[in-house]
Amino acid sequence: MKLTFDPDVEAFRAEFAAFLAEHAPAAEEAAERPRSSSHIPEWARRWQRLLFEEGWLLPANPPEFGGRNASLLQQYVHLEELAKRKIYHSFNPQGLGIIAASLLSFGTEEQKHRWAVPILRAEITAALGMSEPGAGSDLASLRTRADLQGDHFVVNGQKVWTSGAHDADFILAFVRTDPDAPKHKGISVLIVPTDLPGVNRRPFGSLVGPDDLDFNEVFFEDVKVPAENLVGALNDGWRVANGSLGHERNMLWLHFATRLEEQIRDFQPATVLDRDWYATLVMDAQALRLMGSAALARASRGEQDVAALSVLKLFGSEATQKAAERMLDAHGAEGLYPTPTGPQAPLNLDVFITGWFERYARSFGGTIAGGTSEIQRTVIAERVLGLPRG
Amino acid sequence: MIFEFDEDQRLWQATVREAVAKECPPALVRGVVDEGVDPGPLWRAYVRHGWTELTGSGEAVELAIVLEELGRATDPTPYLATMTQFAPFFPEAVEKGVSGTAVFEGVTARRDGDGWTLDGTARHVLDGDRADRLAVVTGEGVFTVPAARVTATREQVFDPLLHVAEVSFTGVRVTADDRSAADLEGARHRALAGLALTMVGACQRILDLTLEHVRTRHQFGVPIGSFQAVKHKAADMHVAIERARALAYYAALTIAADDPRRRLAASMAKAAAGECQSLVFQSGFQLFGGMGYTWENDLQFALKRAKAGELLLGGAAEHRALIAEEYA
Repeated sequence: MKLTFDPDVEAFRAEFAAFLAEHAPAAEEAAERPRSSSHIPEWARRWQRLLFEEGWLLPANPPEFGGRNASLLQQYVHLEELAKRKIYHSFNPQGLGIIAASLLSFGTEEQKHRWAVPILRAEITAALGMSEPGAGSDLASLRTRADLQGDHFVVNGQKVWTSGAHDADFILAFVRTDPDAPKHKGISVLIVPTDLPGVNRRPFGSLVGPDDLDFNEVFFEDVKVPAENLVGALNDGWRVANGSLGHERNMLWLHFATRLEEQIRDFQPATVLDRDWYATLVMDAQALRLMGSAALARASRGEQDVAALSVLKLFGSEATQKAAERMLDAHGAEGLYPTPTGPQAPLNLDVFITGWFERYARSFGGTIAGGTSEIQRTVIAERVLGLPRG
Repeated sequence: MIFEFDEDQRLWQATVREAVAKECPPALVRGVVDEGVDPGPLWRAYVRHGWTELTGSGEAVELAIVLEELGRATDPTPYLATMTQFAPFFPEAVEKGVSGTAVFEGVTARRDGDGWTLDGTARHVLDGDRADRLAVVTGEGVFTVPAARVTATREQVFDPLLHVAEVSFTGVRVTADDRSAADLEGARHRALAGLALTMVGACQRILDLTLEHVRTRHQFGVPIGSFQAVKHKAADMHVAIERARALAYYAALTIAADDPRRRLAASMAKAAAGECQSLVFQSGFQLFGGMGYTWENDLQFALKRAKAGELLLGGAAEHRALIAEEYA
């Protein structure tokens, strides 16, 4: 146990910090804002490409995929340096963190170069087609069908909550290819370009506003997808799904740690009660960093404990939400206004500094998406604490 | 920051855990309460294991490991008071196996020739009735006083394992030789961290017992631990303990490194342990049903140890106020 990292990790951090100091885009270059999680403004495309070429995009990757074979702890300080400067890692986060990563793990060489590399270089963007109207927490019950007919699949069905689909060049879709197999065993993964005939995307507003468009319904009507777009083996999609979500799992908590630290920055407690809430926020932020660092240290020793990561997700998302509510409450009627509540950071998302009410509303993304708090509690009880399945 | 035990610390934890299981089993704790068994031999076992030698602030993490395990076992000896309230002031005595505690308030020192005279009465002094020596905090410094020179009475408290005493000083003479050179604030941080670690251990014990209970207790033909309402409470207990443990070890780590963040870290540790016991006490007791409400169930010892910690050296709300002040 120590308060510092080993010298190799600190040297890595210093090198990246020097790169950022020299190359990060200036505020005036970053005027154009992203409009969805699959829309990357032109300046951000240039920036992401530079990160890719210099091996600073995903440092754990080999150089041909935008990295420099970095260790897990080096990866961590890389993200820390980005967060410190309020630089959003990629404006197509699911493309970078989940889809490209899945293709690099499960795809063919051809798929890696045709689909993953362009995502990493910000030439195209991608959306993740998992949830359906009838398949949320119970993802394996998904019903979108894909039938192999000769050299192509015919896809029919519907996805929902598909973030950024309307701006994405393709959807990584989880589809049922064997309706007779047990539900986890009949799923496959397809790359579905969004310009294929029969793909219809309908973005819909969030509770923030009718023009806050990131979620989509996606309808597939007799879409002909080339058989070569199958990722991984036929009917082996559940393994890909677990792998896909696993790529980011070690670092997911860092997102909440960053939110908590922004909340500390923006709170400005005024009353005795505010200060009491503020202290809880300070403790939560510190505790999450500590618990996350311990999980990371275990993972870098090769002791991967996936269920234990549920503790971090549950704790981080609920702490963020609790603080968001208290910050809203602390502002009384002023909290009703959409006035920005933090300093604008041109390389970051604007949603992190919206009005207090919106920040609170958006905090529910953390407790619902990526496995609800209820699912996390069940996972912790059964797989960490060993309670019997009900 | 590498917030994980290194190989030596993991080995130390395993060693301590094994020794605690052997030396301080639940039957012994029960015997101390119900039959008045003397915990003296247990204390001497700790001395033999070398646990009273962990007096340097540099060994704070190793000591933390022992304190957490002893909190989990609801240790009936004055180890906590000795190591975290007395040793920070007078480590040499403790290294020889002497027990001690601290009197933080209630005593005044009056200059008297080449020394001082101590007068006053202190209440709720942890282990004040059975410690060999007392570290007495006064406006003139911190002095060591042998137990024989004060009047100490064990007070009746709700927790049958807890020793708290009223300690009276009447014209007790001390000299410069009896004065500690240690930093009072630093010593307080060690006392806070120690109590927090003990509480984390006690909360873990509550969860251990609760899990065992809900796995084996059947109702409606199934273990009650298969019900989601039970599972989710257990999960929340686990999360609260993980949070409190992280902050308690962080306090130990900042003490070991003599890092300036230790002031904030010590209050965070104590506040988090306090919040943790509130949830764990409530859910653990509730999930045990009527069985937790009986004298013969050992759950009571861990519940009482966890809650007693909250009531000593400032509770969670008090420490949150300090945190807000420190951080702003």
